[in-house]
Amino acid sequence: MSVIARVFEEAGLPTVSIALIKEHAEKVKPSRALFVPFPHGYPLGKPNDAEFQHRVIANALELLQRPQGPVLEDFPEEAGPTELIHASAVTSTEEAIKKDAANEVTALRAFYERWIEDGNGRTAVGLSGIPQRRFRGMIRFLQDFAKGEETDMKERPADVPLPQYVRYCVDDLKAFFFESRMAQRPQDSEPELQTWFWGDTAGGRLVVAIAKYMVDTGDETMARVGNGIAQ
Amino acid sequence: MPRLDQLSEIMRQSVVYFPCLENDTAPWVPWTKDLSTSKVALVSSAGLHLRGDKPFRRGDPTYRVIPSDSSTADVIDSHVSINWDRTGIYRDLNLVFPMDRMRELVDRKVIGSLSKDYYSFMGAQRDPRKIIEETGPQAAEALHAQDVDLVFLVPV
Repeated sequence: MSVIARVFEEAGLPTVSIALIKEHAEKVKPSRALFVPFPHGYPLGKPNDAEFQHRVIANALELLQRPQGPVLEDFPEEAGPTELIHASAVTSTEEAIKKDAANEVTALRAFYERWIEDGNGRTAVGLSGIPQRRFRGMIRFLQDFAKGEETDMKERPADVPLPQYVRYCVDDLKAFFFESRMAQRPQDSEPELQTWFWGDTAGGRLVVAIAKYMVDTGDETMARVGNGIAQ
Repeated sequence: MPRLDQLSEIMRQSVVYFPCLENDTAPWVPWTKDLSTSKVALVSSAGLHLRGDKPFRRGDPTYRVIPSDSSTADVIDSHVSINWDRTGIYRDLNLVFPMDRMRELVDRKVIGSLSKDYYSFMGAQRDPRKIIEETGPQAAEALHAQDVDLVFLVPV
């Protein structure tokens, strides 16, 4: 991001940047950057907190008053989750082992629809192009893929290789599960949500199985996609 | 922070050893305008794009155009990383791309107006040469063509 800021500034456009990694901003040197002490994924600090986000923006815009640069100043407040729970840190519950991901999708559907309704249509699902109503079919496709069977989806564009398309399906599956859960339990913290997905759901187990299959093939492209799906 | 001491060891190593370009100075366009009459553009490196637009791939140096009057429901992302918690962006796109906040700043007369288009790149670029030489200058040209006074950049 700091690199792009420099390109714009070199082209004559004044810029203000938010910086998440101070050590990088110190090296790259964008013209005006506000370092925020938040985790990746949280550059404005707090979701659904407009005034907090406005404070971040106001602090960044304030940097325009500095007479010379580079400017790198700190935002004074902390925000965002301090830990990220990965799949490998969670043990599956016995119940999750017995469950089937396609049935989970059906069970979560009402919550997912509530999520969309409450969020004025906003959903992170959409990369695969598979409509939510066909997610049971997407689950069967992913289950077959994880077993090494030859399989495909008609929605896959011709220029998207299968491993990349699997990645898009997995991203949609994750978004569907998390958004459904957040509609069901809006009070849950980020670590609680991650622990639920990786430990309590067959959907989470399926994602781990896909990642393992892709890494175990030994194929470089497959392994890279697999490592980006679960760790 | 990511404050380095709060990151997992894998992520910490990746941040510490990320092949950053190192510069001794910064390009500097003096700010001489009045913010309340200025036109502002948002630019993101979160791999955002309109629903139905072409998703990004790892290391993709191209950018996508997002009209500033889009709804947050129109925008999704294809940033390939599991090293950050995505529940925040699921909850509120403004957390990474403050489209609604920018509209509010216009209403509050803090800024004058918004560019017609916003732009999104893909972050975590290990080799940014194409962005520096080609796609970045192209986006700058498009911003100039809209008479943008200030670019506000948000990473992820």
